[in-house]
Amino acid sequence: MFKKFENAVLSGIQSATQRKLILLGTLLAFILSIMMIAPTKMVLAKMLPGKNNDTFTIYIDLPEGSSISQTKEVSDCVVGFVQKESEVLDTEVFLGMGSPLDFAGLIKGSHFKNSENVAEIVLNLTKKHDREEPSYFMVQRMRPLILQSCTAIHKNTSISFVEPPAGPPVMAAIVAEVYGENADGIRALSNRVADVFENTKGLVDVDIMQDYIYDSYEIKVDTTKVSLSGVSIKQLNDILYLAFEGMQIAVKNSDKYNDQIPIHLSLSQESKQFTSKDINAVKYKLASLKLMNSMGMMIPITELVSVVPKKSNPMIMNKNLHQMTNVMAETDMVSQVYPLMEARNIILDTFSDTYKIEKIGLFNLELTDKQSGAIYKLIWDGEMEVTLDTFVELGAAFIAALVLIFLLMVIYYKSYTLSGIILLGSFLSIIGVIVGHWIMDLFTHDTFFLTATSLIGFIALIGISSRNSLLLIDFTKSLMHEKGMHKAEAIAFATSTRAKPIFLTAAAIILASTLLAGDAVFGGLGVSLIFGTIAAVIASLVIVPVLLYNADLEKHFHFHEKKAVSIFEP
Amino acid sequence: MKHTKPYVPTDYAGKLAKTFLRNPLTIVLGIFLLSIGYLALMVMPREENPQMVVSGSTVIVALPGASAAEIQKVIVQPLERKMKEVKGVEHIYGRAMDNVGIITAAFYIGEKKEDSNLKVYDKIMQNLDILPAGAMNPIIKPLDIDIDIPIVSVAFFSKTQDMSTTELYDRVKKIQHHINGLDNVAVTQLKGGHKHQFNIEVDLNKLSAYNLSMGQITQAVQSLAYSVPAIKNTSKENTIVMLGVENAIESSKDIGNIIVAQYMGSPIHLSQVAKIDDSYDIQNFKSATISVKDETGKFTPMKEQVTLTVSKLQGTNAVLIADAVKKELEIYKEFLAQNGISYVITRNDGERANEAVNELVFHLLLSIVIIAILLVLVLGWRESLIVTFTVPAILAITLFIAYLTGQTINRITLFAFLLSLGLLVDAAIIVIENIHRHYHSIESIHETPDELMIKATDEIGPPTNIATLAIIMTMVPMAFVGQMMGQFMKPIPANVPVALIASLFVAYIFTPYLAVRMLKKPDHNEKGDH
Repeated sequence: MFKKFENAVLSGIQSATQRKLILLGTLLAFILSIMMIAPTKMVLAKMLPGKNNDTFTIYIDLPEGSSISQTKEVSDCVVGFVQKESEVLDTEVFLGMGSPLDFAGLIKGSHFKNSENVAEIVLNLTKKHDREEPSYFMVQRMRPLILQSCTAIHKNTSISFVEPPAGPPVMAAIVAEVYGENADGIRALSNRVADVFENTKGLVDVDIMQDYIYDSYEIKVDTTKVSLSGVSIKQLNDILYLAFEGMQIAVKNSDKYNDQIPIHLSLSQESKQFTSKDINAVKYKLASLKLMNSMGMMIPITELVSVVPKKSNPMIMNKNLHQMTNVMAETDMVSQVYPLMEARNIILDTFSDTYKIEKIGLFNLELTDKQSGAIYKLIWDGEMEVTLDTFVELGAAFIAALVLIFLLMVIYYKSYTLSGIILLGSFLSIIGVIVGHWIMDLFTHDTFFLTATSLIGFIALIGISSRNSLLLIDFTKSLMHEKGMHKAEAIAFATSTRAKPIFLTAAAIILASTLLAGDAVFGGLGVSLIFGTIAAVIASLVIVPVLLYNADLEKHFHFHEKKAVSIFEP
Repeated sequence: MKHTKPYVPTDYAGKLAKTFLRNPLTIVLGIFLLSIGYLALMVMPREENPQMVVSGSTVIVALPGASAAEIQKVIVQPLERKMKEVKGVEHIYGRAMDNVGIITAAFYIGEKKEDSNLKVYDKIMQNLDILPAGAMNPIIKPLDIDIDIPIVSVAFFSKTQDMSTTELYDRVKKIQHHINGLDNVAVTQLKGGHKHQFNIEVDLNKLSAYNLSMGQITQAVQSLAYSVPAIKNTSKENTIVMLGVENAIESSKDIGNIIVAQYMGSPIHLSQVAKIDDSYDIQNFKSATISVKDETGKFTPMKEQVTLTVSKLQGTNAVLIADAVKKELEIYKEFLAQNGISYVITRNDGERANEAVNELVFHLLLSIVIIAILLVLVLGWRESLIVTFTVPAILAITLFIAYLTGQTINRITLFAFLLSLGLLVDAAIIVIENIHRHYHSIESIHETPDELMIKATDEIGPPTNIATLAIIMTMVPMAFVGQMMGQFMKPIPANVPVALIASLFVAYIFTPYLAVRMLKKPDHNEKGDH
């Protein structure tokens, strides 16, 4: 078998047309595989794919100013849906606070939650080995049902589904940071961006990180009246707080309980409630609240203050000293790259009515308000940014690896051509990596993404396939050097002899990687290794011999004095 | 050994093979390597995800009465500028709300936690003077992944409906203290539940009717809630006599009896204008509830619960801690059952880590078996056995070095092993293949097995060394990938090169050692076609 192969290689490398055919074919395969990624999107890129989890969390956010009982109505609605699921083991609802912190919550700021308008629901599922439906499909199935019925209860409610991330956590799949100088402009622009996200296919859980502005009242203190009536402003403020919010006024130590027992004073629930949200109802209630002045006289609070309606003050957010707002969206089982590009195109197309748009950086935009001249910036962040950074850094690592290997080979062989052949041979394994992802995508139920781990696999492959070429060249060299074989024969004999260990080590890598290929996160690495190794074997057994034959081996092996003269069979 | 002069190895490969080929200590070394590897596997802390060094601090400054815009100008912006002075800060986030400003400094991934925390603390303390008048003391909260993220959470709930929430809280708090005492437990916290509290709920209408103010009630209660330490005095016989003053307030009834004012000569008791309860903190709007599936597969109605969360110290074994917590809970099962409380473990990262690790170890073994079968088919069972032995030896060395460098066993470390598995059998395969080839070639018929081993190993030494070096080279730049992903993937560039170097040594030392003892030199008269 190996003899046959040796003859095939021998005749192959000596025929000029076959050599050309092999090289042309390789070039074509290379171009085709690159095409699969960029223009045709046959292979999609994503940082990390979803992971099948035993738990996930549902975040509920009502508009600021909502009460805890309104939040509870929404959480009850969600729990109603959750409890219909057969694979859910238990449900915990945390009203007004975040659930026990996890990786995702740490980045999403779950531990800072402390208001009446938020809730988190934690679901524990059956073990993933005993469950047919992966958690990400479950989320995908439940999301539209829950959103449809539960967000309608109160206006502007947002419900998002948070799964433990497969890799490092990010704030959201897509984050658009809207920078600007004035808060109203930022608000208007970010609302429009959120609208675009809502209408982009593949984006879900759209949320703007800003407070809703709601109606409130301000109590204005008439300072002259306060000083004339012999009470202090502190006294006034304290009483107001004491009456409606309540205050701890004393404690009682106890050996029976674990904590000191506070004594808490407030107005009773029934008597402090306003009859309506109307300003007169507020004034009426304040009128019955009285203060005692230094002379022991009772003064109704309404005598000292006036009540005026006003809008609430929304939170102001800055990042790196610039005022901004985040618009966030999650992806529904798709890579975030493509919806982002789509959303960006819509923004470019439709926002030109009020803004002059300029592209800055790779994807970022600068928008100038045509009327006011105010400048806003739209910067992408979130998983997209992390993906981009990671791919760029891994790409740099890949190039650095190539350079290092090249230098190593130059040191070893003292020849640029030979080192170049090895490098080229290893680079060709990229064909296998891309085609492998495409094949996997055909066979898997959901999209099989080219991920960061695929890139890591590819980088490792460079080393592996350069080993193949190296063993081949080394053996050719010793054959020519010690046995005085002719170039073509030496290459053919070396190729066929080395084919066995090359196949063996390749088989070992492929077999070891098949178990990797099944994993959610490291599937990309496994697939890269399996198909990349196949490509690498072909490259080192077919293309490298051709390239070697084309090179002036005698010169590169530094046989100056000892040229091969005789040909004899080994 | 007897007639020709011995083969002189030129490469490290041959030299190593020669040194260890007839050395009685080689076998001891092999056993030693395997046992330190096993030891490392047992004692190394296990986690699901690798440890990431993420540092950051949050500074919270309250200025009561200020609007968001005021806070932005007088607190957030000046502090943001100060944060900018700190080296290593990647992003600064500022949030200005009514009454309070929050500034978060996020450091570059990989910046040392302790240093970063200290830097922020230092900067704030040096600049306390820039805070506006009336601002409260800044609260500085460092982010600590290990301590902040609990590895175990347990939800306690009452089986019957009539238990008050404070009672549940009190019972769980007792258990919390014991769990916190377990080894390597860092923080335990309770979420949900309500604390004990006396509530005085004043009826506004009665207040007006008696012409009273809230201030009067406050003063009256405060004056009676005052307590003093016991009084010590001596008697004439110089013995000490203690006088304890009983607290005026012992129960809600005592509070109700407080006289708040005199009205037309008769005293007004607090109970006349207010409802006094010995209950829970009603002003706390937070609550936690749980619903579990019962035996019939139906969900119980939502019940009030208290969740106990447990987090571990950095670098400790999540599996052991989770097991210890579980065991401790078993002890209290009886006590809880008597009080009508049951519990569910709602998070167990230890178990999750153990499952992930065991699954991957199983995969690792499976891969080794598959490769061994492949080698049996191609090279023969003796050769296959030799290569298969080298794998655990290499993994053992790698594991032990990982243990020495303070790593943990997590998903990524094991993936690094799986990745290197395909690579690390290579050296051994190449050596054994060359030995096999020489053994079966007619040219070497007169050479002794020892000579042959050394020669075969020496021959493939240089290309194998260079090739392995090439693979290591590809891993080196990966160590410099920054960001979260770089941190997350760090075990790969950290462990694969170690495994590869180990694979070289093991291949050069143990493959010839085992081959010379296990392989049989074929009878060349039969002329097998190899």
